[in-house]
Amino acid sequence: MMSILLVEDDKNQRLLYEQELRHEGYEVVTASNGREALEKVQGKLPDIVIMDINMPKMDGIEAMGKILGKNKEIPVIINTAYSNYKDSFMSWAADAYIVKTSDLSELKEKIKEVLVNKNKNS
Amino acid sequence: MSKRQSTYYPKEAIDKIKKVLNKSKGMVLDENLLNTVENICQGVESNLKMKKPGTAKLSNNSVKKDESKKLEEQIQEERKIFDNIMTVIGAGLCLLDKDSKVVWANDTLKEWLDLKESPIGNHCSNIYQCDVVGTDKCPAVRVFKGKEGRMIGSWVTTKAKKRMYIQHIAIPMTNKEGVVDNILLLTVDVTESEKLVHRLLLLQQFGEITQGTLHLDKLLHLILTCITADYSFGFNRAMLYLINKELDVLNGKLAIGPSSLEEATQLRTEMASKHNSLRDIIERLDYSHNIDTPLNTMTKLMVYPLSDTSEVVTICAKEKMPIIVKDAAKDTRVTDEFRKALGASEFICVPLIAKNEAIGVIVADNVYTGEPISEDRIDTLTMFVNQAALAIENAETYKRLEDKIDQLTETQQRLIRSEKLAAIGSMSSYVAHEIRNPLVTIGGFAKTLSRFTFTDSKIKTNIDIIIEEVKRLEKILNNITDFGKPSTLEKVDTQICKIMEDTCILMESYFREKHIKLHKKFEANIPQISVDPGQIKQVFLNIIMNAVESMPDGGDLDVIIKSVYKTIEIDIVDTGKSIPQGVLQNIFDPFFTTKPNGTGVGLPVSLKIIEDHGGNIDVKSKHGKGTRMSLTLPIK
Repeated sequence: MMSILLVEDDKNQRLLYEQELRHEGYEVVTASNGREALEKVQGKLPDIVIMDINMPKMDGIEAMGKILGKNKEIPVIINTAYSNYKDSFMSWAADAYIVKTSDLSELKEKIKEVLVNKNKNS
Repeated sequence: MSKRQSTYYPKEAIDKIKKVLNKSKGMVLDENLLNTVENICQGVESNLKMKKPGTAKLSNNSVKKDESKKLEEQIQEERKIFDNIMTVIGAGLCLLDKDSKVVWANDTLKEWLDLKESPIGNHCSNIYQCDVVGTDKCPAVRVFKGKEGRMIGSWVTTKAKKRMYIQHIAIPMTNKEGVVDNILLLTVDVTESEKLVHRLLLLQQFGEITQGTLHLDKLLHLILTCITADYSFGFNRAMLYLINKELDVLNGKLAIGPSSLEEATQLRTEMASKHNSLRDIIERLDYSHNIDTPLNTMTKLMVYPLSDTSEVVTICAKEKMPIIVKDAAKDTRVTDEFRKALGASEFICVPLIAKNEAIGVIVADNVYTGEPISEDRIDTLTMFVNQAALAIENAETYKRLEDKIDQLTETQQRLIRSEKLAAIGSMSSYVAHEIRNPLVTIGGFAKTLSRFTFTDSKIKTNIDIIIEEVKRLEKILNNITDFGKPSTLEKVDTQICKIMEDTCILMESYFREKHIKLHKKFEANIPQISVDPGQIKQVFLNIIMNAVESMPDGGDLDVIIKSVYKTIEIDIVDTGKSIPQGVLQNIFDPFFTTKPNGTGVGLPVSLKIIEDHGGNIDVKSKHGKGTRMSLTLPIK
């Protein structure tokens, strides 16, 4: 079973993504901010990280940098309400950039796509 | 000649004339005339002195009969000389008796006053056509009362059809007892001096008026009116050319004057009777009058490159000197083209010089009356034109200033608008993001719920409503967040027609659905310009969408692309509901909308994109005629 680390500060949204992704058949580990995400990564490395950008304590871009610093192979999908970070060069390091909508199908598609690519490369 | 005349000796008359002439030296401006009269008087005087011994003998009773006959002949001869002098004296002379009846008048006066019959025996008012008869203003009356008798001048038309300004001076004639019983009325021609005084006055008036006129078009009209008004210079026609420094050409600007001889005479009498001062003319000046004349149209089409030194007007501007052309056909400075266009063989070109630099040329002629252009007139005209040039220079400077202020106001407004946009953008993007997160949760969970099966079908319907409504809200948020985005243009050389073509293809089915007939008119050879194709397409989509929405019952949509002097103009014209006047001024304000489902960002975003490209959007909407959106993009 593929594991996903979901980093999202909004409690309800975290719950939504967790439910939906579980329903898709993934193992979902959640973190509510960047620091917690780093802690979670210490244990078992997830297959993919889905991350919001604006979060308290440590923002997504910083956390992504640190995670990628540990393991360059982990794919990261940025899932945010802001479309303007798309142009920020830090987010170029992410494998995908998704603007949040209530329709989660785009996110689900992207996860599949990224995981397929990852498996191809390894 | 009457018998009474014979009781006067020429000597006495001449003495009187001399005295009067001496007195009037200060007031009659024509010194030449004075000198001539004086010379003639001296001549007669010396003549008389020579004959004196003879006349002295006349009183001797013991003279023989043949001797007296000789003397008579002598007297006759003297009288002949006297008559000749009176005729050639160059002034009108008339002898009046106590009842103001004409006793005698010389031929000059008869000619000047255009008298058909002999005036002798007539009352003076009949021949002088004056209205001061019997009043204290009458010079004859004044002289009889022992006062000085002079009358302000008046205009007359002589037998030779010449307009002349004359002045009358009354001289008392005493008889042997020393009682004034006759009046010698001396009439002098003061046309030239009157004209000079008049022109000086005109210059002064013009100076006063032009100081208060900063409107360039009005000023040009004013200048040419001054040159053509009978009251001032009285030229038949006048044309004005101004130098366009940018293009280095002399450009026809305005022409004033009748198009035919008939019109000329009609206008002349009209003007002469109606106006008596420059201010009067100016106040009644109708600036739209005489604008559509063939002469004006022709003049406006005249363009002469300043490098062309074969044209009389450009020579005039170059040399900064007036040019008088006496015979255009023989003058090498006048090209055939110019001569034919003007149609006058004699004309004058005067340069408009301001601050030592030529700014234009004025051409004036007397094509209808054929009156020759005299040297002194040229001097006054030059003086006038110099003043006119300064006034034009002032008006042009003022206009430039006005343009600059307009530009500044526009920039300021644009700045305010973009600041407003930025403020609204940052605020709306904050609100949008704050709303987006809970929306995602609401919509997301609703979607999750919709996967379940419910016994009550109402629940399923309600969940679907939540999903739909959230979708709608998200769409609005997407529009709003576009606003906060700093636009970085990705410019590439693009064919605008191609973008428009693509946009129209994209909307083809929509047009069909709404019964819109599309008419594309793309000018050939529209140059490629550097734009962000995605953004421009967004603009086209926005505006065409609006146009279609204004035609719910179908209609015609014209899309026109043409190049207009360094810009590409894209017109999108619909036949739909027009934009009401009160709404028109708000359509570019963010979040202003009249549509039930509109967000009010389409047009402001479009305008921002076009302005970011250095272009502009202009809207014209007429009730019942639809709306025309004109987009301009610069060609660089």
